[in-house]
Amino acid sequence: MIEQLLNLLNIEIVKVILAAVIMVAVTLLHVAYLTYAERKIIARMQQRLGPNRVGPRGLLQPFADMLKLIFKEDVIPKAVDKPTFWVAPFISLVCAGAGVALIPIWKNFVLSNINVGLLFILALSGLGSYGILLAGWSSNSRYALLGGLREGAQVISYEIAMSLALLSVVLMAGSFNLGDIVNAQLNSPFKIYLIPQIIGFFVFMISAVAECNRTPFDLPEAEQELVAGYFTEYSGMRFALFYLAEYAGMIVMSALAVTCFLGGWAGPFDIPYIPFFWFFLKFYFILFCYIWIRATLPRYRYDQVMGLGWKILIPLGLANVFLTAIFKLIF
Amino acid sequence: MNWDLVIFYYLAFAMVISSILGVLSNNPIYTVLLVLVMIVHQAFLLLTLGSEFLTAIQIIVYAGAILVLFLFVVYLINLRKETTRSIFVRRCSLALIIFLIFFGMFFTNLMLVFRNKPFIQAYLPFNFNEKASDVWWIANYLFKNYLLQFEIIGVILLIAVLGSVFLIRKVKSINN
Repeated sequence: MIEQLLNLLNIEIVKVILAAVIMVAVTLLHVAYLTYAERKIIARMQQRLGPNRVGPRGLLQPFADMLKLIFKEDVIPKAVDKPTFWVAPFISLVCAGAGVALIPIWKNFVLSNINVGLLFILALSGLGSYGILLAGWSSNSRYALLGGLREGAQVISYEIAMSLALLSVVLMAGSFNLGDIVNAQLNSPFKIYLIPQIIGFFVFMISAVAECNRTPFDLPEAEQELVAGYFTEYSGMRFALFYLAEYAGMIVMSALAVTCFLGGWAGPFDIPYIPFFWFFLKFYFILFCYIWIRATLPRYRYDQVMGLGWKILIPLGLANVFLTAIFKLIF
Repeated sequence: MNWDLVIFYYLAFAMVISSILGVLSNNPIYTVLLVLVMIVHQAFLLLTLGSEFLTAIQIIVYAGAILVLFLFVVYLINLRKETTRSIFVRRCSLALIIFLIFFGMFFTNLMLVFRNKPFIQAYLPFNFNEKASDVWWIANYLFKNYLLQFEIIGVILLIAVLGSVFLIRKVKSINN
């Protein structure tokens, strides 16, 4: 019976679906525990205890939060534009999370090995801004609209800088495929692109923080000015979807930084039976830096955010592309 | 069942329907969204032709940049419902003429396709699956065969950028 079923379905398809389901589960777990880690780390940095009631050391806190959000009433204000109000959180989450499929976790494991993986991640992050813009508009509220507008402008500006930083990586590696980029790094003299592309890494990390709307660039959701920004009118599970999207975006950006600048799955020596050890080590380090930045820095003013993006990061990125091209020509 | 054909017809119908709905919609935000749906389908049409690069570029440039700017404009002038229909109706005759010209071209070409000698024919100068990835082919053609045209486009875009900066400057000086 089962054999017939397996014959009926193509084995390859079953494998891909299984891998995708595992990947989604792992990503969601990461998202859940990222919120826990963030609260715990920031608490330690501010000499507090952080969540410590649910389960040992508060380890079950994310599940408690999730249950609370699922069972909360889903309030939809009367004056909202319903179709866009419904669809906006999903656009946000899907576009933020789908990038995970393109990241090579270890040498032989990447869910979707396409030729232009890097461009695809950029395209997804470009589409992600629709979710936020639409959420802001459809809420029919001043705070949400302003938050959405700020977010849209910020994402568009920083996407240019990020693309430029990644473009110099593509120039060095000679490929848009993320697996090929890692392999090219391993064949380069420094083994990682962090050293020759230090400017690119700097530009990329700052724009990645801005893309994910994290402090110090969390203008769109600045509590003191805009209540909660574009998701002011959302509640319950829909609110949680935006929350998930933010953390999924962080995960994709960190994984992208590891893949493009820190040598992906490779490490100084192989760990037997755990091929993804080095990838996750670097990945957690970058996530820790995200949290660290949030605990340390105050928020920028809006014109400072825009000025940083357009007047510093984009020229730096362009200069970096130019330098990389010249070095590539000479050597 | 020929899945390629099914997918093609789905994409084609979705594109046509979303374009028509986009034109007919009264709400500017919905128009932009329907155009977004159209563009995403168009990108996947390119994917079925084997060009991943063009798919990604289509989404990045049109959906990720141009349409977002459209959305911004709609936001900033804050139109809940379209109030400027009369302008469109007044210029209806012009639109009709342009439509007739294009429809005539399309129709004659369609007739010639049935007789197997079309005068407008889409073709690719290379085979995507032949040697390298499509990125390699496109770069090769852009920077070898069509370098001059490519540079001219670059200059035109630069002029557009300078023009927009110039416009902003002018507005500022009037305000002062």
